[in-house]
Amino acid sequence: MKKDYTVVGKNIRKLDAIEKAMGAATFTTDIKLPGMLYGKVLRSPYPHARIVKIDTSKAEALPGVKAVATYLNTPRVKFNTSATSTFTIPPLQPVEDQYVFDSVVRYVGDEVAAVAATSKKVAEEALELIEVEYELLPTVFDPLAAMKEEAPSLHHCEAGKNVPGEKIHIEMGDIELGFAEADYVFEHTFKLPVQKQAQMETQAAVAQVSVDGKVTVWSTTQTPHPSRRILATIFGLPYSKVRVLNPPYIGGGFGVRIGLSAKAEPIALALAMLAKQPVKVVYDRKEDFIASDTRHSGYVTVKTGVKKDGTFTARKIMGILNSGAYCSWSAETPGVLGAMGLSIYYCPNQMYDGHSVYTNTTPAGAMRGFGNPQGMFAVDSQVDIIAEELGMDPMEIRRKNIMRPGLPWVLPYPCQSSGLEECMDLGAKAIVWDQRGKQNQDSDTIRRGIGMAIGTHVSNAWPFCGDYSNAYVTVQQDGSIQVASGVPDMGTGTITTLSQMAAEVMGIAFGQVGITFADTESTPFEIGSHASRTCYASGTAVVAAAQDARKQVFEYAANMLEVTPGELDIENGIIYSTLTQEKNISLGQVAMEAHLRGQQFIGVGRIIPQNAPPYLAHFAEVEVDTETGKVRVTKMVAAHDVGKAIHPLIVEGQLEGGLAMGIGYALSEEIKYDDRGRQLNNGFHKYMLPTAMDIPELEAIIVEAEDPTGPFGAKGVGETGLVATAAAIANAVYDAIGIRFFEIPLTEERVYRALKERK
Amino acid sequence: MLKDYILATSIEEALVCLKTYAGQARIIAGGTDAMLDLSAKKITTSCLLDITKVKELKKIESMDGQIVIGAAVTHSEVKNSDLIRTKAPLLAEASGSVGSLQIRNTATVVGNVVNAQPAADAAVALMALGAVVEITEDAGTSYVPIEEMYLGVGKSKVDSTKQMATSIRFPALLPGQGSAFVRLAQRGALALPMLNVAVVLSLCEDKVEWVRIVMAPVAPKPLRALEAEKYLQGAVINDELIAKAAKIAVSEATPRDSALRGSAEYRKEMLEVLVRRALQQALTTAR
Repeated sequence: MKKDYTVVGKNIRKLDAIEKAMGAATFTTDIKLPGMLYGKVLRSPYPHARIVKIDTSKAEALPGVKAVATYLNTPRVKFNTSATSTFTIPPLQPVEDQYVFDSVVRYVGDEVAAVAATSKKVAEEALELIEVEYELLPTVFDPLAAMKEEAPSLHHCEAGKNVPGEKIHIEMGDIELGFAEADYVFEHTFKLPVQKQAQMETQAAVAQVSVDGKVTVWSTTQTPHPSRRILATIFGLPYSKVRVLNPPYIGGGFGVRIGLSAKAEPIALALAMLAKQPVKVVYDRKEDFIASDTRHSGYVTVKTGVKKDGTFTARKIMGILNSGAYCSWSAETPGVLGAMGLSIYYCPNQMYDGHSVYTNTTPAGAMRGFGNPQGMFAVDSQVDIIAEELGMDPMEIRRKNIMRPGLPWVLPYPCQSSGLEECMDLGAKAIVWDQRGKQNQDSDTIRRGIGMAIGTHVSNAWPFCGDYSNAYVTVQQDGSIQVASGVPDMGTGTITTLSQMAAEVMGIAFGQVGITFADTESTPFEIGSHASRTCYASGTAVVAAAQDARKQVFEYAANMLEVTPGELDIENGIIYSTLTQEKNISLGQVAMEAHLRGQQFIGVGRIIPQNAPPYLAHFAEVEVDTETGKVRVTKMVAAHDVGKAIHPLIVEGQLEGGLAMGIGYALSEEIKYDDRGRQLNNGFHKYMLPTAMDIPELEAIIVEAEDPTGPFGAKGVGETGLVATAAAIANAVYDAIGIRFFEIPLTEERVYRALKERK
Repeated sequence: MLKDYILATSIEEALVCLKTYAGQARIIAGGTDAMLDLSAKKITTSCLLDITKVKELKKIESMDGQIVIGAAVTHSEVKNSDLIRTKAPLLAEASGSVGSLQIRNTATVVGNVVNAQPAADAAVALMALGAVVEITEDAGTSYVPIEEMYLGVGKSKVDSTKQMATSIRFPALLPGQGSAFVRLAQRGALALPMLNVAVVLSLCEDKVEWVRIVMAPVAPKPLRALEAEKYLQGAVINDELIAKAAKIAVSEATPRDSALRGSAEYRKEMLEVLVRRALQQALTTAR
């Protein structure tokens, strides 16, 4: 019989709570080393240009300047700032299209040069003394235009004009047959905006080179081990001579630094090598906006064949995303868009075609959801269109078609759990779905509406790319344990949940667990924090390590107690025989006895994770001011199947944070460009992140359909909070005013124009 | 280059200091705009003269039917003042919509006028209140109607290197008078207005004795809708008249296209909605 958990599932105080509340936690931005210099970056004012001449002599002559780096004195090794280059599985090849500095700049903000000086101020002054002569090159800003023959080529591409990496094609069943079997076929194209991660801490790195050449880089990376590999490759060093770590905290990430923190690490390191002093590079907020990855904008077309009774017979999705000037994650994101957009519903005949296109804009990369919110805005907007055409309730058409365990889908692993229908039912009850369509009088200028949308996601990146985790659990002589995992905690509660899992397996109190994390020197290889994987995949490694340690302990204790290891169990740090309770001994006594005889229990976890689908149903209630077009979300209900919630409060925090981001995506967040390729919304003042005043009541409902592949049944939760938010809100707006939007954000002007056109 | 930062303890001391520095010192109150302008090198000065510790400038007072707000009074203090909430509720509303809580705790109401931006929320409300700015300098004290304070976008009649705007005053609202401040912005805080409108309306029995309608940003400074005001003056007000007045107000405005905060066309159409809503709200509170 399964025991009740003593640590897992409990809302234990987060390990970093006091440090962060007291302002004592250390972030990269806080680091100060003896002799440390400050690095600043000169960025291109042009969207596409060749550097004809660059003269740094005046900058170098400025007192306090210790180094100036350009493409002329830094490594000519191509790389990709994203971690894709470190785990793309052959025969696929990673796209490596960037240098630390290049002689061609491809977007406004691209790196031209950098200065290390004794103060930020001197470094900034020196930037103004660098003389650059540019030859302007032709530009292109829209992905559809960039695919045309006459568009300028940004990089050499095999798959098509300005197409980075491979075009993605996914197929199941017979798509033509599926459409032939349909009573109706629907096709719609949706346009998606550029969203920004807007994480709290900007991109930052501090690089130090020891006298014997060993490199240490503290940075904001979400993936210290892959980042070490990228840096070692650029600078031609053995991996073992490069240490990358978080110090130990990161002010958020949301995908913006899966791999390098934009170019903060290689620029800091290049300058540190030239200056022979430590160098700190911290992006200001404008740099973080213009020269650090965004979410992909683009176009998604959905074509669905459906029977009169609402059964889907065929679905084809096409995605064209704007990569920006460099690839980053642009070879992978279209794939997740398609794979997730197809997998939420069961449909026997499915197809996806998608890819990214280079343009002269800020590179797009990973951001929470990774293509999925783009795809689901399109898919679940269209499902509501279909429901209305067929005269069906949006809940019922979904209930009829949702993916269920055991059914085939396009993903290369089975669906083994789903709490989706329960999510839909609980969410519908909480939002009072029955009120839908009954809330308005004809004369109302403020009109109310309710809408819903659903979605799924992954719990890590396996088997789409290399994804694995290692961990150590070491039993100390007093019976406390030390966990070592290379995964960061970027505010997501990772170190708390990993420690909970280790404590649960070892049968000890949470307070007896210490953890080392996010440091390549003290932890074995681990991909890092991305793809909603840390709890699921890093957790699986920690559980495996703890089980290994526990096994060693039981074998040793069995000898001491003169029983068999198989009859032992442990609770509250006391190992006891399940057959004769009097036979017991504390973990501390066993560990100390072993220590005195020359042995430590060292558990090693080495795992390749499986994968599991988390599920979600989002419900939005909105008010639309029909005189101004202003949309206000008045309530959001988000019911999520997260598998086992290891720490329910952390899960709720993740969901609420995701919802807030999803509300911004739906209503106000967008980076636009002017006709010279400059971002119009290049900071928090001009970029309309929702504030606390804009966030309505959020109700997170946790459904625990435990998955056999996850630690304690857990599934991924980091990204799901915004997968369907925009679609749910757009569907609610339709319910309120009867207008369907094919483009977000639903700004007041966009909604007003649509209202006016209808008149 | 900035060398000195002086905390003045009295108006006299501040004036002496301005004189001593002979144009090289600059008055600063909350500094929420001035510090940004300094770091962007839009202004330069060798001395900042901070007046926020001057006790006599920190008061909100009622004198002979006039409300006087000192130059060191913050938006938060105005928003939370019982006197302002009862006698000039539109100003409490306007100050309450400036920036964020942190900005409102620092920025001053008088600074909102002196900074001379076209759509500063408190300044828009103050213009509808018929406010007058007290300017103190070596030569003495003068009183300037708020409408005459603007010499251009960001350019104030007050030269902060020679003079001080020491307070702003306006008549407290009387029974039979109503007001409104309405605003359209892209989010609930930390957003410059796409549009803001302030109205103060005085009823005499059931007729409009007078009304002030101020709109922004539709001109280089907050703009009085004088034609619309005239149209309503002396009239028995009703929904139809309000709708017509709103249309007239729009014809007086020239909003610009903003890539960030809405097209001119949208702003024009919204202005009509906002003026109408502000008039309706002011009428309700007047009754």
